[in-house]
Amino acid sequence: MTQSAKPVPPIWCPGCGDFGVLAAVKKAASNLKIPVHELVLVGGIGCSGSIHNFIEINGLHALHGRLLAQAVGVKLANPSLTVVAAGGDGDGYAIGMGHFMHAFKKNASILYIVMNNETYGLTKGQASPTSQIGFEGNVEPPFHAILSALSIPAPNFVARTFSGDPKGMTAILEEALRFNREGRGFAFVEDLSPCVTYNDTYKLWREKVLDVSKVPGYDPTDNKTMFRLCLETIEQGRIPIGVMHRPKEVAQDGLERKLIGDGPGPVRTDIRLESNLAAYQKLLSGLS
Amino acid sequence: MTMPASRSAPISSETGSEASPPPLELADLSVMIGGQGGDGTLTVSDLLGRYFRKRGLYVYTSRNVLSRIRGGHADASVRASRERVAAVKSQVDVLVAFDNEAIEMGRTELAPHGYILYDSTTFHSELPNSAGFPFATLVGGQLGQPIFKNTAAYGALSILLGFDAQVTREVIEERFKRRGAEALEKNLKALEIGRKAAIDAHGVANRYSVVGGDAHNLVLTTGNQAAALGFVVGGGRFFAGYPITPATEIMEYLQRYLPPFGGVVRQAEDELAAINMIIGASYAGSRVMTSTSGPGLSLMTEGIGHAGAAEIPIVVVDCQRVGPSTGQPTRNEQSDLSHLANLGHGEFPRFILSPATPEDAFHLTIEALNLAEKWRLPVLLLMDQALSQNTATSARFDLSSVRIDRGGRLSPEQVEKLAQYKGYEVTEDGRTAVAPPGTPGIWSEVTGNEHDEWGHVSVNPANRVRMMKKRMEKMTKARADLPSARIEGPETARIGFIGYGGTSGPIEEALRLLGARGIRARYFQARTVYPVPVQELDPFLKSVDVAYIVEHNYTGQFARLIRENLPWHHTKLRSILKFDGATFRAPELVARVQEGGSP
Repeated sequence: MTQSAKPVPPIWCPGCGDFGVLAAVKKAASNLKIPVHELVLVGGIGCSGSIHNFIEINGLHALHGRLLAQAVGVKLANPSLTVVAAGGDGDGYAIGMGHFMHAFKKNASILYIVMNNETYGLTKGQASPTSQIGFEGNVEPPFHAILSALSIPAPNFVARTFSGDPKGMTAILEEALRFNREGRGFAFVEDLSPCVTYNDTYKLWREKVLDVSKVPGYDPTDNKTMFRLCLETIEQGRIPIGVMHRPKEVAQDGLERKLIGDGPGPVRTDIRLESNLAAYQKLLSGLS
Repeated sequence: MTMPASRSAPISSETGSEASPPPLELADLSVMIGGQGGDGTLTVSDLLGRYFRKRGLYVYTSRNVLSRIRGGHADASVRASRERVAAVKSQVDVLVAFDNEAIEMGRTELAPHGYILYDSTTFHSELPNSAGFPFATLVGGQLGQPIFKNTAAYGALSILLGFDAQVTREVIEERFKRRGAEALEKNLKALEIGRKAAIDAHGVANRYSVVGGDAHNLVLTTGNQAAALGFVVGGGRFFAGYPITPATEIMEYLQRYLPPFGGVVRQAEDELAAINMIIGASYAGSRVMTSTSGPGLSLMTEGIGHAGAAEIPIVVVDCQRVGPSTGQPTRNEQSDLSHLANLGHGEFPRFILSPATPEDAFHLTIEALNLAEKWRLPVLLLMDQALSQNTATSARFDLSSVRIDRGGRLSPEQVEKLAQYKGYEVTEDGRTAVAPPGTPGIWSEVTGNEHDEWGHVSVNPANRVRMMKKRMEKMTKARADLPSARIEGPETARIGFIGYGGTSGPIEEALRLLGARGIRARYFQARTVYPVPVQELDPFLKSVDVAYIVEHNYTGQFARLIRENLPWHHTKLRSILKFDGATFRAPELVARVQEGGSP
């Protein structure tokens, strides 16, 4: 057997919430029996974005904030790959905000995991887009990715997990990956992943998280209901987690399906000259 | 190039003459069509281009439009010649004007024997050698819509220039058949309205005649269309871009061309997304490209550096326009070279190729795809607005010379036989063979962080040095693979020109003009611009006493690179620069050579 790159030990601090994500990704992929060579993990820049180094997987370490654009490129070029993008809240909601919002609109069948710790850990604890007012002098209100995701009328899978609940997280990642592999579109999972060094929120979050599926009126097929439910939960001082949106229709709405259909996609298309000669001649004969 | 003056004084249609003098024969003519944006000047230019090409002439069309959808002065010019031309002529033989502004702007360039044909619907001109017809009124009255006035103007022009009636009509059929039966019928009627008006007028018919040529079996196309076709034939199957003048047509052509070949074209949310999407698609194993212009290139710089560090093959087309900032989106310049040669923070290898004609753009796009994949780095295809958007007759693209070289791409069978799969293996020849994700039995790490051969992030100093050398030495190890220059003109010439891209047309014409005056000159068209082709430039510069480096910018960017790389020739080097947004006319270059040029 050919030897490939061996995983290296994580750079994370002991107790970091990102360990939970690493374990859940491995477990979900193994439960779904996805062959390692068909899995691509596109990492962002930051502590969380180094996750692909710690697992036997095809790792593509992207630029800060650009992992979604690269992940969409991978998926559209070879739809047979299972593509996971993973990064932090600074990566996704600050420098990568434009790509983040467009990812819902594009709806390519990739999974995007944001490990939200409400701080920039790797650069030593600055305020991030999700930081609470007062954290490191922050005066801007925190960004709520789930509320933004629910505001876009697209057939995406949207969920939120907590690193303190590895079982719940594994189940949700498994569902998200299945959603992708069925070609149904974009799956977004925000994991609440405490930074034990600069913003240790384990205790606080464990007290405050609320599984929205237990709230009366819970209906993840309806954006309107879920938006109100999440907003009310937040206003009550609780932190909503669970599946926030799951499309009613089981439709293969993924962007790659719209563009390629059942075709093999750019990578697996025969590009040899001799195979295409007649078609090329016809194309060139169109020149006047 | 001189005009045979077969008649002494043109007769104005205003005065009306009974005697019909013989037509003035034109072997190299220029027609300028001007009006407001939306008047259809580009359509008239397109129709004329098609006509002249059918008559075996070389054709070059250019346009001068404002960056707005409608309104504002717009003009287009068509040049047709028995000799190969790829430059704007310095004088206009016939001016077609849809408003008075077009006359005011165009008449300064009108030749002494020139003529003005204008739409007199809203104004009347007292100028001699002019004829006005109310095209908009005539067409509006008979067809209900004045928009066909441009086709009527083409009809009148066909009479003025003594066109063959049958070919004139064929051009309309060819141009409008795809728009449906009704559009074709109305355009044919408009053509007849214009023809009749000109036939009925005194002294308009057959004032000129266009000498036919023998340049047959050519195609009339733009650099942008050729690059799009080259991408398809070169096996490119993934393209992402963002609309920007003057590069957008590449994306638009590919939106038409690629899907039937199983390819994907995406219009991204910005240039940052576009460059990163092609990086992802290339990592996945597809041949990829994006196209942009200055402002987009600034944004893509981040991604291009990443591709250089992570060794991901990408092709980026830069259709240069006037910069910096928004500059002049529709005007011509060659001022991005310094940026491209030094692009990005840190150091990484890149090749910059530059085509001079549509045919060259077709082949160099394919070569760019080959080089990118073989050497696993960014290849930049340097074009300019004139080359991108002006149409030029070109030899048919020859598929028999096309070669797809996927470099060191490993097949699953080859991978199976490997003991180890290292995506960044250091090799003797500087090339690393890779297999895309999805290849059974292996996986890999690809990163823009400094890494070891496995792709693991590394801060080891010895590894850093090894990996820097691995990447940077591609610039020297690949030299024999890089496209060679094209050298024109007699070997005995003591005067040399050096240029790239869209200046090639005017330079080649200048060689002919100088030749006609007994001055021999040669031209070095750099097709690899960076790394500077020292081995090719050295003998060229040795062979001449003086070399004029012709480029469209203020600081002499290419000249600076040549001086830096061939300092021993610096006393021979002169710069001819132009940065007013317009392209060079051949006589300007001739005048500069006769002045001697400044060092």
